[in-house]
Amino acid sequence: MTTYETVIGLEVHMQINTKSKVFCECSTQFGAEPNINTCVICTSQPGAIPILNKKAVESIIKTGLALDFTINKKCTFARKQYFYPDVPKNYQITQSEPPLCSKGKLAINIDGKNKVINITRIHLEEDAGKLVHEIGSRKLDYSLLDLNRASVGLMELVTEPELSSPEEAFEFLTELKSIVTYLGTSECSMEEGKMRCDVNVSIRPLGQREFGTRIEIKNINSMTGVKEAIAYEVQRQKEVLGSGGKLAQETRLWEAQEGITKSMRSKEGALDYRYFPEPDLVPLNLPDSFVEELQKQLPELPKAKKQRFVKEYFLSDYDASYLTSNIHLADFYEETLNNSKDKKLSAKPLANWISTELSAKLNATKIDISHSPVSSKSLAKLVDLILNNTISGKIAKTVFEDMYEKSADPELIVKEKGLVQISDESEIIKICQEAIAESPKAVAEFKAGKERAVGALVGLVMKKSKGKANPQLVNKILLEQLKA
Amino acid sequence: MIRAKELRTKICSGEVKSADVVKECFSCIKETDPKVKAFLKLNETSALLQAQQVDKNENKKYGLLEGVPIAIKDNIMIKDESMTSASKYLEHYISPYDATVIEKLKDAGAVFVGRTNMDEFAMGGSTENSAYQKTANPWNIHYIPGGSSGGSAAAVSAGMVPFALGSDTGGSIRQPAGFCGIVGYKPSYGLISRYGACALASSFDQIGTLTKNVLDAALLTSAIAGKDYRDPVCQPNDWIDYTSTLNDVNILKTLKIGIPKQLFDYKTDLEITKYFNEAVSKLKTENVQIVEIDIPAYKYVPALYKVIMCAEVSANIATFDGIRYGYRSPNGVSLNDQYSKSRSESLGYEVKKRILFGTYVLGAKNYHRCYHQAQKVRTLLINQITQAYKECDFIFTPATLQMPIKFRETLSEECDIFLTAANLTGLCGITVPCSFTANGMPMGVHFMGSRFSDAKLFAVANAFEKISGFDIDKYPTI
Repeated sequence: MTTYETVIGLEVHMQINTKSKVFCECSTQFGAEPNINTCVICTSQPGAIPILNKKAVESIIKTGLALDFTINKKCTFARKQYFYPDVPKNYQITQSEPPLCSKGKLAINIDGKNKVINITRIHLEEDAGKLVHEIGSRKLDYSLLDLNRASVGLMELVTEPELSSPEEAFEFLTELKSIVTYLGTSECSMEEGKMRCDVNVSIRPLGQREFGTRIEIKNINSMTGVKEAIAYEVQRQKEVLGSGGKLAQETRLWEAQEGITKSMRSKEGALDYRYFPEPDLVPLNLPDSFVEELQKQLPELPKAKKQRFVKEYFLSDYDASYLTSNIHLADFYEETLNNSKDKKLSAKPLANWISTELSAKLNATKIDISHSPVSSKSLAKLVDLILNNTISGKIAKTVFEDMYEKSADPELIVKEKGLVQISDESEIIKICQEAIAESPKAVAEFKAGKERAVGALVGLVMKKSKGKANPQLVNKILLEQLKA
Repeated sequence: MIRAKELRTKICSGEVKSADVVKECFSCIKETDPKVKAFLKLNETSALLQAQQVDKNENKKYGLLEGVPIAIKDNIMIKDESMTSASKYLEHYISPYDATVIEKLKDAGAVFVGRTNMDEFAMGGSTENSAYQKTANPWNIHYIPGGSSGGSAAAVSAGMVPFALGSDTGGSIRQPAGFCGIVGYKPSYGLISRYGACALASSFDQIGTLTKNVLDAALLTSAIAGKDYRDPVCQPNDWIDYTSTLNDVNILKTLKIGIPKQLFDYKTDLEITKYFNEAVSKLKTENVQIVEIDIPAYKYVPALYKVIMCAEVSANIATFDGIRYGYRSPNGVSLNDQYSKSRSESLGYEVKKRILFGTYVLGAKNYHRCYHQAQKVRTLLINQITQAYKECDFIFTPATLQMPIKFRETLSEECDIFLTAANLTGLCGITVPCSFTANGMPMGVHFMGSRFSDAKLFAVANAFEKISGFDIDKYPTI
């Protein structure tokens, strides 16, 4: 049987994070009432002319710089023509040659090894509106047009066909999303349609140099969808070839619910977009200083931040990777740290609290870290309370529950519920003596050399103190008394 | 009808009432327009109301065009008014905003009299392509007024309004101005904002003026020119008073005028050649130096204009799809059928022809051979003309190579090439009437200046107007 190799290229559309649209002054706010964010330009009234949003150009250049692109300071816009009701002009303003950014790269980590993926281009274009075919669950026998999204700025990034598995594609998107959200140039949320990905997949017998027949997959709405669609498509292609069939170049749609791809149009049905230079906009001719200034504005990117976390806070590679995987998470961690009494001592326990307790809660309740009910201030206080022996780690977990549910202050919870740790030796001695008196069996076992028997006694002391006794002290005192 | 500049002065001093001027306009319109058919729509009530406001002048502010009536070509947006571009497609369209030039005219205090007829979407050179009516040449109503701004040209020529706005993509202001014996001016590309002018070919479109004389053209231009962030190609120039340089009495003495030798390659009406030569002699008498210039690429003008203009038309007109506004066919059975029927039932023959041609030249198989090639030739033309300006200050030709024709006759493809060359190269051009021919029709000459030499262009045209011997105060009897 032939062994096949998979070749994947991605076309990623990311909505540019600007307040106004790319060719008019309308708001880009998501989820507004239909057709509220429209004007004479984005609805293409006669005589309207696009005006380029400078911020959108800056966002693309920043993204390009972060991904090692060459910035084409001289470039033009083009009209891509096709009739569709959600494109009011019946052409989309985009870029042909050269795009704003050419030849970039991004390193992804696959099985602990770095693989560099070359990226062909990033160009600027405008988004289309939306056709609505149903109201709630009621299907309409006509379509409604919402132009709120029409002319919102997009950056389209196209990779070279260098990815070779669904996992690599997923990893590429994860890494890209991480960098772009660090830059703040796009929110990249696939759920809100702010990041969309078309995939080109082909397979070829291992060792063959020529590419196989390329299939484009559209309509993928989630990161896992990308992985699943590629896996499905590779399998389908193998089956077609394996059964002696032939593949034809075509565009297929991913049907997430059914988990399959369906043919949309063949190569013959491909549109002739009749590109030509956009006469309404003047070609860009950016001075060197424009790009230099943006270079200076680039924030610390995920890799650098991770290295700094390891060096500055003595975090493990794993913790640092986790915390820097998302800019909001990294920011939350540093904010919390800045609110701590002792940064040095807090660094590690804070990383643990965020990566375990808080993350678990946030995941379970599907809340983003930037909307965490536990503020960075209170989490810092909680860890301070543990570090200064006011509460035990175990008590802290119950305090945390309350903090998360009620967004309450940990000091108040501890005070109200009387959870302050007992660190008064005389009081602990008293409880230990009671426990020893009540557990002759455990004492006998201990004296017979079974040191583990002390565990039962510790448990009893904690129970008697309602978990408030300082566990280290309890341990120490019990041993002293038993050995005495 | 007196000149706009004089009217403004008299209205501001109180010597003349704007309302009386407006009334006079409408009485002239009522008398002559049934025969000329220059107007698609008249705003008598609102114009009079606006004029009365001016006469009260409660805010004691005198705009550059205070109280002066003006006609607007029907492809420029005026908020809350209809704008048809003389197309059935936009028959019931109401403009949601003001074009930049309209905003400026409102600020300047101009009074809007009505909307003038044109070729549908400004496609044509006779105004016969209007979906609504045919406009006649006021000097002889059996002849075309030219186009596409034929309505504006006829209205000014017949004295119905002192001046009017038009748009010029390939000669659409200057050709009808020449045919109707008035002054037609197309600014350098980027001098006047295009925002709010229904696009024909975005690379060439400019709004410009149709006036009885050069002074009024300069005055009107002063009111509407200038930077506008809403049109990216509009140059960020500071405001200029274009009337201020007109009194340079010595301008002709140091002037070098170039006449392209290619002019003689084309079949030209005998009278045009005769009166053009007379105009040249008059310039020589004023010590103007005449030089022959060589611009071989003129011969490509019709072809390359057609290719680039149609390409842009095919994209610009695509927005008229019956989805958001405009005509929607009641007979569509699918999306594509709806598009197809809405467009085929509402757009005229010339529009369809240009869409088809433009779609063809942009097709993947033809792009390099047609569109790209045309852009290369356009660069060649620009280079040759730039070279020619090293030898002369202005290029001088007849406005057209043919006199106006009767309805349903066709003008030659080369008729306007010396006008169209200005659009292809972004230069400024002005036609000034120079003579009446034997059958009583006027003819004009054309000065073309380098980009943004508009102020000097006005000065030269103004000086020529004074020596042309053409009686600008003469009006046709209709």
